[in-house]
Amino acid sequence: MGQLVKDFINGLWNENPIFRMVIGICSSLAVTTAAQNGVAMGLALTFVLTCSSVLVSLLRSIIPDKVRIPCYIIVIATFTTVVDLTMKAYFPSLYEVMGIFIPLIVVNCIVLARAEAFASKVGPIRAVADALGMGLGYAWAITLISIIREIFGSGTLFGVKVLGESFTQWVIMLLPPGAFLVMGILVGVMNMIARKTASH
Amino acid sequence: MNEYMRMIVVLTVISIVAGAALAFTYEATNPKIQEQERQALEQAVMNVIPGTEKMETVEKDGMTFYIGMDGQGNKKGIAFKTTGSGFSGPIEIMVGYDPKEGKLTGIEILSMSETPGLGAKIKEPSFTDQFKGKSVNDEFAPKKDVQVITGATISPTAVANAIKTSLDKVTEIYPVGGDY
Repeated sequence: MGQLVKDFINGLWNENPIFRMVIGICSSLAVTTAAQNGVAMGLALTFVLTCSSVLVSLLRSIIPDKVRIPCYIIVIATFTTVVDLTMKAYFPSLYEVMGIFIPLIVVNCIVLARAEAFASKVGPIRAVADALGMGLGYAWAITLISIIREIFGSGTLFGVKVLGESFTQWVIMLLPPGAFLVMGILVGVMNMIARKTASH
Repeated sequence: MNEYMRMIVVLTVISIVAGAALAFTYEATNPKIQEQERQALEQAVMNVIPGTEKMETVEKDGMTFYIGMDGQGNKKGIAFKTTGSGFSGPIEIMVGYDPKEGKLTGIEILSMSETPGLGAKIKEPSFTDQFKGKSVNDEFAPKKDVQVITGATISPTAVANAIKTSLDKVTEIYPVGGDY
């Protein structure tokens, strides 16, 4: 049990994919213009990551070593396409905003990295704990980025106005440079916190 | 079973299972996706032709027209799609046209990838409303009879040009004052 909690917490903080490992940041920079997008992208990735980790873990003794990467990619691509089609059918307005980034989950290195480095070496229960931790770690990180960008860029939060009429929108926050600025500052802050807690 | 056979068998089986799963998902979601697309199209036609309650699709001279009608079947106008080339990609526009009056009844931006906060404002009513009631014989010249957006000239110009160019063709098919 303790091991499972450890596996889960690992992705949330110690090896947080965005803030600590800085992997899979392409999508996190591109879709984070509104908080709603951050949440949706985070959940979509968590779903794909969890499903593929379970399957990779279950198939770990069957898949021959030499063809493991193509096998992982097929599994990941299948789950991604399922999310893609489901989103298109049931959440068309969300799909319109983040359409291209959903298929790109296939090449998001977090998913393949967890399959290769973790899920293929442990049983399915530990694989789920790790995938949920990593997925939710990714989700909270990009939600935080998108909340900051939405507040300063549009003066809204989840589409609701939070800053008064007199507020001038910081257009740069909605543009790619804004993503890098917010991300850079947050990584810095996280490093500071990590250093503080480590020295105690 | 030797190693090569095993590789081939495992990869093949995984691919077949994945393919079947995808075929199933596609079949399950496809009707819903088509329905969403049809609804989005219908909504856009209703937005650009006020008073539309039902529509009819007509193919003419290689263009697709959506004829908007009210509940009694009276024609309220024609809608068609056109595409302009914006600052960072194509801008797809739905245009409503009333041949009887020779005027536009409204426009809506269907899709675009312009800069958020600048060019993306072409989507807002403050920009699109100026085309409501505009005569098709107008010049559609930015900064003259088409108001542009501060900090973004390319996107509004692209919209104005796309509408003007398509109107040249559309007014040939459905002349001003003619029947439709």
